[in-house]
Amino acid sequence: MKLLLVEDDALLGDGVRAGLKQAGFAVDWVQDGLAAKVALDSEEYDLLVLDLGLPKLSGMDLLKSVRAKRASLPVLILTARDTVADRVAGLNAGADDYLVKPFDLDELIARLNALLRRSAGQVELTLQHGAIELTPASHQVRLAGTDVSMSAREFSLLHTLLLHTGRVHSREQLEQTLYGWGEEVESNAIEVHVHHLRKKLGSDLIRTLRGVGYVIDKVA
Amino acid sequence: MHSLRLRLLVLLSLVLGLAWLAAAWFTHLESREEINRLFDAQLSQSAQVLLATTRHDIQERVEHGEEGVAVHEYEQKLMFQIWDKNKLLLRSAAAPDSPISSAKAGYSETLLSGQPWRVLTRWDARQAFMIQVAEPMAGRESLAQHITFKLLLPTFIVLPVLLLLLWLGIGAGLKPLQTLKKEITQRTPNHLHAVAMAGVPEEVSPLVGALNDLFGRLEQAFNSERRFTADAAHELRTPLAALKIQAQVALRSTDQAERQAALDNVLRGVDRATRLVEQLLILARVDPETAAAHYQALNLHELAATAIKDVAQMAHAKQIELSLEGAPTCLVLGDAMQLALLLRNLLDNAIRYSPVGGRVSVTLHQGPGVALQVRDTGPGIPANEREQVLQRFYRISGSGEEGSGLGLSIVQRIATLHGAQLQLADNEQGQGLLVRVIWPVNNLN
Repeated sequence: MKLLLVEDDALLGDGVRAGLKQAGFAVDWVQDGLAAKVALDSEEYDLLVLDLGLPKLSGMDLLKSVRAKRASLPVLILTARDTVADRVAGLNAGADDYLVKPFDLDELIARLNALLRRSAGQVELTLQHGAIELTPASHQVRLAGTDVSMSAREFSLLHTLLLHTGRVHSREQLEQTLYGWGEEVESNAIEVHVHHLRKKLGSDLIRTLRGVGYVIDKVA
Repeated sequence: MHSLRLRLLVLLSLVLGLAWLAAAWFTHLESREEINRLFDAQLSQSAQVLLATTRHDIQERVEHGEEGVAVHEYEQKLMFQIWDKNKLLLRSAAAPDSPISSAKAGYSETLLSGQPWRVLTRWDARQAFMIQVAEPMAGRESLAQHITFKLLLPTFIVLPVLLLLLWLGIGAGLKPLQTLKKEITQRTPNHLHAVAMAGVPEEVSPLVGALNDLFGRLEQAFNSERRFTADAAHELRTPLAALKIQAQVALRSTDQAERQAALDNVLRGVDRATRLVEQLLILARVDPETAAAHYQALNLHELAATAIKDVAQMAHAKQIELSLEGAPTCLVLGDAMQLALLLRNLLDNAIRYSPVGGRVSVTLHQGPGVALQVRDTGPGIPANEREQVLQRFYRISGSGEEGSGLGLSIVQRIATLHGAQLQLADNEQGQGLLVRVIWPVNNLN
């Protein structure tokens, strides 16, 4: 899942990025509102995590401009301000959820997963596809009731494909979804992850469309 | 006397009492004069009657050569003598043998056996006999007193009623003060709005105006205090959030290098939070209450030298060259600890934001005023942000340094308390920031 983190505090931003990376998110991190705007204009994100007190362009203004362009992007606000008025203002400006600092990493991840689920129109906590069950909250994949262990990137790739079954994802899209800025991506990284997933879950799960990308077909 | 009501009552009673006494005195004088006139008239009538009724008698006695015969009429109330030249012809029983009064005519007063008597001396129509009629003054005096007393008696009865009415009247007159008191007791530190001036009596409106001023200033102070506490709490939340997240990342990490980095970040976070707390405490301690009273003459040059020694280690670590130039004695009036803090914060900032191998210089000027200048070779502060950096918790984005956002606020506050101005400018000697602290007129003079 590709996520844009907008947080001006270096230590906090670094920590959130590291924590979310551990959880399998591909995180791009910017430290001011204008940089966030540029990033949002140039890349596709599945999630936006936004601090409100930002230099150059306030989180609130950024949120308004995001909402004007992409109504469906799930946005979670990180804020030091916790009065009801602050929260209401944030939610009214178009945020989907908020967390008051200091927050728990697990809670942040859980809320982000909930936002993702809702934005994909999915109600169940677990994504089911044939014999495969994927639970984002616990980072768990089961095949016919048995736990299957996999790396964070493999999980994220499977999650992305399962969230939008029937939709073809290009290799570039998947790379963007799996890797944050500055992370080195080997040219065959996606092929390698797909290969591993096929080995663990069966070779016919992920279909390759040569020169186009990858897809998990909807269950007939 | 602390009750205005009682004070007014006593003052009014005193004034009233004096007026009453004066009235009593005038009444007394007036009635005595009136009584005198009346009694004198009576005395004169008595003399005429006596002369007329005794004419025959007198004639006889003159012819028979009798003298000094006492008659019993009138007794003590009235005494008289009738003289023929130097011969006493007739007298009342109580009258002495010698002339009652030495006066040759008209009214006079004399002492007889210790009592004052009013005497009328008269001559008959032919100027042959002289009659002296005397009457004791005591009667007149007691009558005058009696009349005065009678006249004033009702006021004695009315006086307590009057006092009671006064007490009630004053109370009613002071009602606006009561209302005001009620209005003011309702104020709490959270509720310090101005008292409405409408309906406030003219006499207390300056007081209410002053109170409203005070309320305004207090409210402002409370608000700024509240805002500061809220801001400070929020400012602490971000470092705490960073600490928590970094600790969680370290706990979860399976990668040794990643865990190490996260733990290092935890330590950095603790240092940063500590510094923030220290700066907050400093800002809280630099309060106006400690000002002015114990200011003393201080040599800025000495303070700057000490501050430079304190930051020498920090500067050395970044290979920054420190210098102190200008007047060796530069006196200002102030608080030594606060001015040391001001210098320390300016030097701290200058070193923090100067690149490795940079230069930080302190220059002192003593002219009509005193100027302290600190130059660094850092990135400087854009002109449009120079006002904002003085606000609490404002940090310049992308500066790469994680200050508390309080350093310049502390400097500003100390400068203001010392009657000095804080100015930010470009370092005219090249790249960097120039901070000036200016005492417009040497505050020693």
